[in-house]
Amino acid sequence: MIEQLGNGLLLGLIVAIASVSLSLLYGVTRIVNFAHGEIIALGAVLTLFFSSSPESSFLYLDRFSPLGSSFIVSSIASILLCGVFGALLELCLFRPLRKNNYGNVAVLVITIGLSIFLRHIFLLFASARPASYALDLQKREDYFGIQLTPRNVQVLIIGSVVMILVGLFLSYTKTGRAMRAVRDSSELASVSGINSDYIITLTWVFSSMLAGFTGIIQGVINNVRWNMGFLILLLIFAGSILGGIGTSFGAMFGGFIIGMLVQLSVGLSFMDGHTEAKNAIALALMILILLIRPQGIFGSKERIS
Amino acid sequence: MNKAIIEVNGLAAGYVKGLNILQGIDLVIKEKEIISIIGPNGAGKSTLLKAIMGLIPISGGRLYINGNELANFKSHELIKKGIGYVPQVANVFPSLTIEENLEIGLWTNTKNSKEGKKEIFEMFPILFEKKREKAGNLSGGQRQLLALGRALITKPDVLLLDEPSAGLSPIAIDEVFNSINEINNKGVSILLVEQNAKRALSFCDRGYVLDQGKNSYTGTGRDLLDDPNVIDLYLGKL
Repeated sequence: MIEQLGNGLLLGLIVAIASVSLSLLYGVTRIVNFAHGEIIALGAVLTLFFSSSPESSFLYLDRFSPLGSSFIVSSIASILLCGVFGALLELCLFRPLRKNNYGNVAVLVITIGLSIFLRHIFLLFASARPASYALDLQKREDYFGIQLTPRNVQVLIIGSVVMILVGLFLSYTKTGRAMRAVRDSSELASVSGINSDYIITLTWVFSSMLAGFTGIIQGVINNVRWNMGFLILLLIFAGSILGGIGTSFGAMFGGFIIGMLVQLSVGLSFMDGHTEAKNAIALALMILILLIRPQGIFGSKERIS
Repeated sequence: MNKAIIEVNGLAAGYVKGLNILQGIDLVIKEKEIISIIGPNGAGKSTLLKAIMGLIPISGGRLYINGNELANFKSHELIKKGIGYVPQVANVFPSLTIEENLEIGLWTNTKNSKEGKKEIFEMFPILFEKKREKAGNLSGGQRQLLALGRALITKPDVLLLDEPSAGLSPIAIDEVFNSINEINNKGVSILLVEQNAKRALSFCDRGYVLDQGKNSYTGTGRDLLDDPNVIDLYLGKL
């Protein structure tokens, strides 16, 4: 099991960051966004699009490589574009739905439709085969008994820094506080002087940028696939719910636990030859924990008065 | 003569298009006044506050705030025009600390944030004692004080209060009404919607009795308390 610890840390980090972005969006907008996985994939696909060489055969638009092969520049551009995409989703789709008082179930079904639509758009422009960024291959090395490549270590450090920054942003900035206020009650936030629509748009931008970032690190660690977001979506939901849906720090923790458990369970002896069932143990554990603590690990029962 | 802060003429509004709850309400709140709105359940008392606050669409009539016509303005813009509002339920941000709740009220006015908080903490020492606690853990009375503080920190000319005594113990009700009085003494006008009609009328300068979305009776608090029609219909005999 110990040999899976490195992979567990990496998957835990990916699911943790994705869970924070999903949970924050849910908390502020009350939208259960099934298309969140596709925003994750968008970050990865856009980075591949921008950074792949003109000879790349992954994208049908293969002779177009505006940012050459600079991976860092491509990643930053992709994260920013994911933010723009999030803003467009809010302004063109979800805000009109909200203003027309569409029910939660209707909006949920719309996000499922959006997810399928976007996934197949990726498939249309990119082939169904997995692709990798043009990064040099690295060997795994031993870091305190954990097997990781130097790039994996970089990803772990950058990802952890991003999570800390997200935490600081939500806790100590005026905008972060406003996001948490709108999460509690958008109407009360409005009558306190906050433009809730503006905060909701900012949340879409912020959450989508985080999702795009997750997609890029997932692409670096594994590879880029048209359905990579969809494949990880269930784990992200599980992480958010386990931590306490709507609580950012809980989602971070819950996501990390789920990601770790999924990967660690691969190392169990009875899983030999059944690694495709690796999600089962983590999700069963999630159900067990929720039976004991329905509000999630960090979700709190509130006093009603 | 004191100038009018809010003036409502023939106001019509409702939650659903074509179905008005308010059917032509007239109301004036002047500087430093305490106005009570009473009436049976479903009379449109809370709806009137929500319509003024831009939370439900106004379909007819006129709304003037400090002399400017501001019907159907967005809620967050009305805060800048000097209106403060405390809803009946969900009037604090439960996952935020008490201090953060007050800071949310400072969204529109960050210049005097330290002074603003200090003033509120002086007025409500209990909030200072618990400033790092989550608002969701407060008792009903403490929540109401925090809600008043959050609205007051925006420096409003008038405070719209929707049933501030609902669900509170008699001691907590006294505390809340004393605070409202104190706020009014500092020059803030109060528009108070109350189920506790006798208390509200004995407390206010003037009162409005609403019934089925229309003005039914108007007068000073004392006059309304003594009015046999109002006693018969709303207050009941002792």
